[in-house]
Amino acid sequence: MESNNTLGLHAAWIIPSISAVAFLIIVVSMRIAGYFYSDRTKLALLAPIVSITAILAGFILFWLVLLDVLNFGGGSISMNWLVVGLTEIRWGIFVDKVSVAMLGLVTFISLLVQVYSIGYMKGDKHFEWYFAIHALFAAAMLTLILADNLLFLYFAWELVGLGSYLLIGFWWEKRSAAEAAKKAFITTRIGDVCLLIGIILLFKATGTFNISTIFHIAESGGISDAILNSSILLIFIGAMGKSAQFPFHVWLPDAMEGPTPVSALIHAATMVAAGVYLVARMMPIFELAPEIMLIVMIIGLITFIFAGSMALVMSDIKRVLAYSTISHLGLMMLCLGTGGVAAAIFHLIVHGIAKALLFLGAGSVMHSIDNETNIWKMGGLRHRMPITAITFFIGAASLAGLPPLAGFFSKDELLLSILHDGQYVVLAITLLGVFLSALYMARVAIVPFLGSTPKHLEQSHESSSIMWVPLVILAILSAGIGFLILPLSSTYPGWAEFIDPSHHFELEPWLMILSIILALAALIFGWSVYLRKSVSAKQIIEFAPSFYKTILNKYYIDDLYQWIIDKCVLAFGNLVALFDRVVINDKAVDGSAISVYMSALKTRVLQTGYLFTYGAAMMLGACGLAILWWILLD
Amino acid sequence: MIELTHFQVLSGLLFAIGLYGVLARRNAILVLMSIELMLNAVNINLIGYSIFMNASESHRALGHVLIIFVITIAAAELALAIAIILRLYRNKSSINTDDINIMRW
Repeated sequence: MESNNTLGLHAAWIIPSISAVAFLIIVVSMRIAGYFYSDRTKLALLAPIVSITAILAGFILFWLVLLDVLNFGGGSISMNWLVVGLTEIRWGIFVDKVSVAMLGLVTFISLLVQVYSIGYMKGDKHFEWYFAIHALFAAAMLTLILADNLLFLYFAWELVGLGSYLLIGFWWEKRSAAEAAKKAFITTRIGDVCLLIGIILLFKATGTFNISTIFHIAESGGISDAILNSSILLIFIGAMGKSAQFPFHVWLPDAMEGPTPVSALIHAATMVAAGVYLVARMMPIFELAPEIMLIVMIIGLITFIFAGSMALVMSDIKRVLAYSTISHLGLMMLCLGTGGVAAAIFHLIVHGIAKALLFLGAGSVMHSIDNETNIWKMGGLRHRMPITAITFFIGAASLAGLPPLAGFFSKDELLLSILHDGQYVVLAITLLGVFLSALYMARVAIVPFLGSTPKHLEQSHESSSIMWVPLVILAILSAGIGFLILPLSSTYPGWAEFIDPSHHFELEPWLMILSIILALAALIFGWSVYLRKSVSAKQIIEFAPSFYKTILNKYYIDDLYQWIIDKCVLAFGNLVALFDRVVINDKAVDGSAISVYMSALKTRVLQTGYLFTYGAAMMLGACGLAILWWILLD
Repeated sequence: MIELTHFQVLSGLLFAIGLYGVLARRNAILVLMSIELMLNAVNINLIGYSIFMNASESHRALGHVLIIFVITIAAAELALAIAIILRLYRNKSSINTDDINIMRW
C-alpha cells in the first residue's frame, strides 16, 4: 500500500470495510448458529448489534476524516488491484469535501435506520438477514462514495444495486415484493450497462480508470469531443437509472414493497443518492460538455414537475413520499445541470435527512395501524401518536421549504444556482414545482395527522422509544442543518464556498421571498382543500377530469412499458424460443443424437463379440496400412 | 553363413504362427502365448537389422534398446493379462474366448 497521507485517509477506507466485515460476520454466524439452535430467535439481537456497531464505528471515523479534510484538504490513497500488461488498475479511495459530506450522511442515516429497524422488524422471520444486507448495502454505498477510480466505483455501484434488490425483495414470499425487486433491478440495470459502456469508452480514450487523471486528460483536450460527449451521456444515463430520473423512475414507487425503513434508507442516503453523487463527482468533465449539461437540466426539470404532479394524487402514503423523492432528485439533477454542485449536494443531504424522517414516520404510523397505507383511511393521528406527528410535520415543512427549516435554505440555494446560470424559463417552471412540492407535502401531512380520528384507529398508539428516538434526532437535524448554508464563523465561509471556494455566500431577497410566498400559498391552499374543505377537491378534479385520470395512472408510463414488454420483448422472446425449440433443439441437438443412433443400429452388427473377428480386423487393417505405405513410398 | 534373410524368414514364420494362434485359438492362455510369439518375432527382426544394417555403433545399439523395451512391455502386459484371465475364470469357470461376449450388441 502506498501512502503519502494522513490518519484521516486511513480512517476513510476503514469505514466501508467495517460494514463489509460486519456483513460477513453476521452471515457466517447465522450459518453456524443454525447448526446449534433450531430456534434462532435467542441469538437474534446479535445481528443488529454487529451491524450497528460497525456503522457506529463508521460514523465515529467519519469525524476523523472530516477533521482531516478540514485541516489538510483530503487526498487519495490506493493500492494495486490488477496489472494487465501496461495497464494498472488500483483500488483506491479519494476524499474531498463532497465525499466527506456524503460519508457523514450515509453513515448517519444508516445508523438511525438500523436502530429504528430493531423496533420495526422485531419478530420477523429473517431478522438477522435483514441486518446483514443492511451492512452490505451501507458498505457498498460507502465504497461508491470513496472510490477514486471508475472501475472500483462501478463495482460498488453494482453492489448497491444488489443490496437494493435484496432489501426491496426482503419479503420475497410476497409476489408483489419479488416483482418490485426485479423491476428495480432490471430498470437500474439498463442504466448500469450504459454506465459501464461510458466507463469503458473513457478508459479506451485515456488508458486509465482513475477519476482525477481522466479529468486532467479531458481538460487538456486529450479526448475527442465525440467520445467525451457520448461517454458523459452514457454515464448520465447510468445516474438516471439509479436516481430514478424520468423515464427510469418507474422502479422507485414500486420499491415501497420492502420494509419501510428500507425505503427510508434507499430514498435518503443510499441508492438514489448514488446517481446524483456520481454526476456531482464527474462534474469537471460534465462541464466540458455543455450540451450534456443541458440534457441533465432538462431531464431534471421534467422529473421534478412530473413526479411532483403524481405525488399530488397518490393515496398511498409511501407512494406520495416516493414520488416526492423522485421529484426532489429531479430538482438536484436540474441544479447539477446548471453546475451547482454545492447546492445539489446540500439539498441531497437536507432531503436525505428529511425524507428518512418522513419514511420512518410513515413506518411508525403503519406499525401502529396494522400496515394501513391509504392516507384517506387515516386521520387525527396527532392525538394518538404526538411524537410521530410533530416530527413528521417538521420533515414535511422542511421539504416544503418553510423557513427557517433546512429545506428552505437548500431550496433557496438551488434556485439561486439556476438564476445564476441565467435559465429564467427553467427558473419559472422550477418555482411552479416548488409550489407543487409544498402542496403535496401539506397534503400528506394534513390528511393522516389532522382532522377527526376514524373509529377503527382509536386503538392506535405511539411506537416504542427505539423507533421514535431516531425520529426526534432526525427532526432536530432537519430543522437545524440548514444553517450550515450561512457563513457561521470566520473560518466557515458558508456551504457554497466551503465546497467550492470560487463561490461566495449570497442572498437574493426577492427570490427568497417569492419561494416563501409560494410555499405558504401551497400550505394555505392545502389547508383549505384537505382540512377545512372550503375548496372542494372534487371541483378541481372536474376542471380537467381526463388530465386527473392520466396523472392517477402515472401518465400511463408503466402501462407503456408493460405494453412494450408484452408486445415486443415477449413476442421476440417467443420467436427466439421457437427457433431454439425447432432449429437448435429438434434439428441440431436431437438430430445429431438421432443420426448417431441410426448409424449405430447399422454398424453394431460389426461387434461380434468373438476375439478372432477383432484380431482379424486388426491384422487386415495393419496389412492394409502397410500396403498403402509401401505404395505411397514408391 | 547366416544373413539378414534368415532372420527375416524366422521372424516372419514366428509372426505368422503367432497370428494364427491369436486368430484361431479359443483358449485365452494360448492366445496370450501366441501374442508373446508375435512380440518375439518382432524382436528377432530388430536384432537382425541391428546386426546387418550399415550403421554406426550408436545406431545399432538403438535396436538392442528397442528390444529391451519390447521385452519389458511384454512382461508388464503379460502380468496384466494373466490377472484378467484369472478373474475371468473365477467368474465364468471358463477361459474360452468365445464365451466372453457380454459386450456384444
